Amino acid sequence: MKQIKRAFRMHRIFVAQELKRMMEYKGDFIIGIIGFLFVQASNLLFLTLIFSNIPSLMGWDYTQVVFIYGFSLIPKGIDHLFFDNLWSIGHFTVRKGDFDKYLTRPINTLFHVMVEKLQIDALGEFLMGVALVCVTLPKLQVEWSVLRVVLILAVIPFATLIYTGIKIATAAIAFWTKKSGDITYMFYMVNDFAKYPVGIYNRAIQTIITYIIPFAFTAFYPAYFFLTGENPLFNIGMTVVISVVLMSIGILIWNRGIKAYESAGA
Amino acid sequence: MTKRLKIYTPFISAGIQETATYRVDLIFYLLGDVLACFVSYFIWKAVFISSESEFLHGFTMPQMIVYIFLMFLTSLLIYSDGTYNIGEEIRDGSIAMRMLKPVSYNATFLFQEIGNKLVTNVILIIPLVAGVEVVRTYVTGEIQFNILHFVLYLISCVMAYLINFFFNICFGFIAFIIKYLWGANMMKNCVVGFLSGAIIPLAFLPDTLEKVFLFLPFSSLNYTPVMIYMGMYNSSQTAFYLGLQLFWVLFFWGLSKLLWSGASKRLSVQGG
Repeated sequence: MKQIKRAFRMHRIFVAQELKRMMEYKGDFIIGIIGFLFVQASNLLFLTLIFSNIPSLMGWDYTQVVFIYGFSLIPKGIDHLFFDNLWSIGHFTVRKGDFDKYLTRPINTLFHVMVEKLQIDALGEFLMGVALVCVTLPKLQVEWSVLRVVLILAVIPFATLIYTGIKIATAAIAFWTKKSGDITYMFYMVNDFAKYPVGIYNRAIQTIITYIIPFAFTAFYPAYFFLTGENPLFNIGMTVVISVVLMSIGILIWNRGIKAYESAGA
Repeated sequence: MTKRLKIYTPFISAGIQETATYRVDLIFYLLGDVLACFVSYFIWKAVFISSESEFLHGFTMPQMIVYIFLMFLTSLLIYSDGTYNIGEEIRDGSIAMRMLKPVSYNATFLFQEIGNKLVTNVILIIPLVAGVEVVRTYVTGEIQFNILHFVLYLISCVMAYLINFFFNICFGFIAFIIKYLWGANMMKNCVVGFLSGAIIPLAFLPDTLEKVFLFLPFSSLNYTPVMIYMGMYNSSQTAFYLGLQLFWVLFFWGLSKLLWSGASKRLSVQGG
């Protein structure tokens, strides 16, 4: 308990430090947020142009597809906002020998890496996701129930941790290879599949995004449950299970990696 | 002329070595992008299945699929990241080292990147073109490869690369005003992606917009080479769009020179 309290206190200190740093470059962080809004806006424009040619995409109408898309941005944005620093481990921290600094501090290395930075740009992604969900909600033909709302909200942190777990596991590969940012990138790109109804893909892709690199649980399955109320055990339950499993694998690889780590650079 | 070019050979070989060192990373990175390609593949497939007509804005499903993979190939061939490099150099002050050398600032970037590209493009072009052709033969049911289109495509790609390079250099000078290029670069990539037809064929846009976009420099980047490769243009259209590409190459080359002479005078380096 005491440890958890200490962790939270430290997290606050790190965040405060980050915010101070950011206020130094106000213009930059506004540009970052707008940049992400641009990316999302262009994807939305793509969907709109596509739907101007067809009434529905294999049974899914425009509102539903936008809802799933918007929902996918929420866990992605949260992970991006808080745990973006994991990218730099695989890209350059280990390679340049800068990782040593984490080993000299009296806190858990993984915790330190995760809370050190705040990627405020990701607010663009997150806010766009929230906005799309809010705009599409009233137009959806959904039977409202307390259970659905509670479950969909409760599943968001778990969906987020699927991203985080995959990032930890792939970043930790750098402890052996010195550089793994591109491996993280490859895995991370699979999340693109999760933004659209899984039914449009062939069997092989469906299997991959459900069981192997299970990004489908970050967006489509939870959103599907919310839209239809079907199969909460799979759509929500599996999301929780998978996120716990992935986080455990990530932490395991990380801890083994720390033991194998030999400093690089000067 | 040869002597002038010779001073740049060290930059080419530096570029080659740089890329050769990280070739494994490059493969993983590419696999990530191929995945994104497959996402569009499945979306478009679903779109055509859901549509009642066989044609959507002049594209059939096989053509659309070929379009997606060709877009990917073309973006890869003409990729240029001058913006980011210039921004980084301005940020960390190493731009000063480059300015000390008795060579053209823009040209050092160009030759270093040509070195990078010699490695990536030579390794990738044969398997990727073969891959695209296999997909094309598979989805259309007959061999469509046309050597004339392919040669014109390569010429068009070279010009597209030069436009991309000089445009990125021009954009990189924004770093003299905005020190945070990552965000600005993301915005640029997104706008360029849309205007160049990388996200959706320009033919899917409303007519007037399409006409305007076809004259903007961005369609000269990806769209023109891809349309030539696919044989969507007749000979007079091909000549016209190749000419337009040449115009934009010269335009951005001139602009980058102009901006550089202006910007180098008011350079302020933070740290270094």
